[in-house]
Amino acid sequence: MAGVAFVVNGTRREVQASGDTPLLYVLRNDLELSGPQFGCGLSQCGACSVLVDGKEARACVLPVNRVAGKDVTTLEGLPGLWAKQRGGPADGESSLHPVQQAWIDEQVPQCGFCQNGMMIKAAELLADTPSPSIAQIKQAFMAGPSPHLCRCGSYSAIVEAVQRASTIMARRK
Amino acid sequence: MATRTERHETVSTVFGATLTRRQFVRGGGALLVCLGGLNRLGPVGSMLGSTVEAAAGDSNSLNPGLASSWFEIHADNTILMRTGKVDFGQTTAHTAYRQIVAEELRVSYESITSVVMGDTDRTPDGGFSAGFLEYGGQNLRKAAAYTYQALLDLAAATLGVEKSALTVQNGIVSGGGKRASYGDLVKNQQLKLTIPVSGELTNMFGLTVTGDPPLRPTKEYTVIGKSFPNAVTPSKVSAKEVWVTDVRLPGMLHGRVVHPKTLGSTLVSVGTLNKTRFPNAQVIVKGNLVGVVSPSEWEAVGAAQQMAADTKWTDWKGLPGHEKLYTWLREQADWKTTPPSKSDKSRGDVKPALASASKTLTASYEVPFMKHAPIGPTIAVGDARADGIVYVHTHNQNPQALRGQLAMMLGTSVDNVVIRIYAGPGHYGRSNGGNAGAEDEAVLLSKSVGKPVRVQWSRADDLQWSTQSPPGVADISVGWDANGTITAYQADHYMPAMQDDRLVGALIAGLPTQPAPAPNVEGPIGSTINGVSDPWIYERVPNVAETGFGTFQLGQQASPLAVGLRDHSMRTPGQLQQNFPRELAMSEAAARAGFDAIEFRLKQTDDARLIGVLEAVREASGWQTRVSPSPKASATGTASVSGQGVSAMLRSGTYWACVCQVSVVPSTGKITVDKYTIAVDPGIVVNPLQLKRTIEGGALMGLSHALYEEMAFDESGVISRDWRSYPILTMADVPEVKVVILSHPEVGAYGGGSEAANALAISAVAAAFFDATGKIARRLPLKPSHVQGILKA
Ligand code: FES
Ligand code: FES
Repeated sequence: MAGVAFVVNGTRREVQASGDTPLLYVLRNDLELSGPQFGCGLSQCGACSVLVDGKEARACVLPVNRVAGKDVTTLEGLPGLWAKQRGGPADGESSLHPVQQAWIDEQVPQCGFCQNGMMIKAAELLADTPSPSIAQIKQAFMAGPSPHLCRCGSYSAIVEAVQRASTIMARRK
Repeated sequence: MATRTERHETVSTVFGATLTRRQFVRGGGALLVCLGGLNRLGPVGSMLGSTVEAAAGDSNSLNPGLASSWFEIHADNTILMRTGKVDFGQTTAHTAYRQIVAEELRVSYESITSVVMGDTDRTPDGGFSAGFLEYGGQNLRKAAAYTYQALLDLAAATLGVEKSALTVQNGIVSGGGKRASYGDLVKNQQLKLTIPVSGELTNMFGLTVTGDPPLRPTKEYTVIGKSFPNAVTPSKVSAKEVWVTDVRLPGMLHGRVVHPKTLGSTLVSVGTLNKTRFPNAQVIVKGNLVGVVSPSEWEAVGAAQQMAADTKWTDWKGLPGHEKLYTWLREQADWKTTPPSKSDKSRGDVKPALASASKTLTASYEVPFMKHAPIGPTIAVGDARADGIVYVHTHNQNPQALRGQLAMMLGTSVDNVVIRIYAGPGHYGRSNGGNAGAEDEAVLLSKSVGKPVRVQWSRADDLQWSTQSPPGVADISVGWDANGTITAYQADHYMPAMQDDRLVGALIAGLPTQPAPAPNVEGPIGSTINGVSDPWIYERVPNVAETGFGTFQLGQQASPLAVGLRDHSMRTPGQLQQNFPRELAMSEAAARAGFDAIEFRLKQTDDARLIGVLEAVREASGWQTRVSPSPKASATGTASVSGQGVSAMLRSGTYWACVCQVSVVPSTGKITVDKYTIAVDPGIVVNPLQLKRTIEGGALMGLSHALYEEMAFDESGVISRDWRSYPILTMADVPEVKVVILSHPEVGAYGGGSEAANALAISAVAAAFFDATGKIARRLPLKPSHVQGILKA
């Protein structure tokens, strides 16, 4: 067991874990974060997604030593990420990232278990592509190690919510 | 991070009232004045059923006969409600149930501030979490209606005004120039209202509130019919929800189970744990159940993998394999031992009517095994305590039934088992009989080590050791006259048993469980009997013969573990297996008879609600009225061809029709669904927004069934082990989805909304494939490798 240090949601953290431990277990069990979920452990569904230096990664297969010194954002950290992106801590309108707000406005989740990864992916997409087309949205959720899977079939709601989030972002910038 | 721990309760008596102070995990405590009972309600009180007395004796149960078990009306006019049903994402318990209760109590939606759901020691009724509005909703509706009457009586006495002169709005009773809020009425009161219930708490169906309290006339509704948002969505999207995956108890260990090599293997020798690599892990063996526990989850995972590699099992081959499934079902399965069932719509004399029909269609249809495939695997924290009380923290559609099953496994009283429920991935019916898989294993491991143990299955475990939706084979004959009027319809439906609620860990460990499905197992769904579950909707047809044939589960009797392929009801259970053949046959018959598929259906019915959904879906989808196949249909070439298909269904009091428009590339066999339009008439629409989202989800799940899903298995077990070998629908496949909701409050009942959409999609896509190509695919799924052969034939 060695210490691994990295930044989680803006705060430097150090954990004692063997380097091959998947980041997901460290986030959930050591740091008690509940956003990323275990869905498959195989990099095939996206339930466990986090942002590593702004890019979506699958925490279920990512050894913790690979994020040493890096910047990890989980669902819990999306509001902070949004504050940083718009260049100031205070967003008087909401304490949520526009993606989270849009997910509520559009009533996206059914069971909600997959939605961590869906929101992480949406946040990643909108940071690069502020007004994506429907085709770009679908493409984003298909890209990466695997498509992001939702067994409850909330896909159409997700597309609508990404569009709404894009509008909220433009308004709140 | 909020760890959900025990909530403390103190009870004291102040001015004759029972005051309960509770400390919740999140937020501060609350001082509650409960509506405890109303002695002067003679007629209501005397209807107390005998099972209530038994339940009242349980140390870990609420008394379902007391209104206070269902609702707490507080002095500050807030209300807490409890239901044994567990919300799995369709939001019913959080929105529709609140709306129903608010309506009957004549309070605002917002005044119901908390919903307690599922916990067996904190909710009154039990039963499965399915048919939410049909079953559970009726319990709450009636319990609220009784409570409303009690409150009126109380107000009459308190205000000194005749009951008949009182009116209630937003929880304020007024009459004779006086007024009082519900909070005023219950303040400092010791109230006892006893409501009648029947049934058995820990069986599949739980308790039912009986009697006929006056219900609020639907035309007075002010809360039902509005689109309230789901109250738990904000906590789920902001990572504040306490999910089942977040339960952490003091001293808790992580457990993994090494499942046998096949669905019939027994232990030959247990491997030796490598203590150098896994110093803190520990192996537990109980019968054929091999488990490992460790304080570290990653160590438990590694130790389980090493043990799996080093443990030896007997071989077993007792299954036909998926490629031979339908031949096996036709030629080897025993359809004789289980009595057939006839539908209640069977009538007339089908044989001569078919013989004298001007034209007929006779065809067979095949539905594979499908997995419920929750996006997260089953998980439970078992906490078998030294005092003999067993707590299980999990996510389950029927916690009271689980409680009964665990008590049976452990040989203890249900008093000693408590189930606590948390949010988790949708199960789509898999746990509606009480278990999803990990619960009993967590208890067994916890009991062995004397500490709480959290068992989470792997993706492979969850696909290979869980139950599945059973396959179906159907033989359909339709005959019609020269005008295209159906004169005879015959359907023979074959399906293995569909509801195996035995605990799989208990089976592997050799511990007691309820009986496996067999012809003589009592109850409507635990036997091998295959009922006709797709209600006949074409009322004008004079001769109808629908028969269900049942049999044993594949390999279950031959498996030395008594496991084999265990089946379980899945979203639109049984009806999916029967509606696909019926509705595809209807579309085929329409084409042969020379009619448009919607016109043809309309000819066979006078039912205004069925006609309503068919006409609505025709209009909303841009349906082209014509005979199939399409004039441009082609079964060859690389150019995409288009088609349309329709289907209809009656389920849980709701009428449904859907249209799918598809494109097919004949050379590759690839089907793309371009548009899915669905019309639904549930009678009373409780919450249009939540209904729409639920239907969209069901619709997309149905496209997944239609295009992708088939459980692969060989002679020894399930070989679908991940999302590559059990693919489901992805974002790339998502069509334009259009939902049309028809509101018919005059029906007086609220039909279900979370099922049907998935089943309907299948026959509509198959009919659209036929329209596009002129070829008929009667075996699911409609994946390229299946339909390519049909296109070339
Ligand atoms: S849990 Fe990581 S991709 Fe599925
Ligand atoms: S909302 Fe249930 S899996 Fe996506």
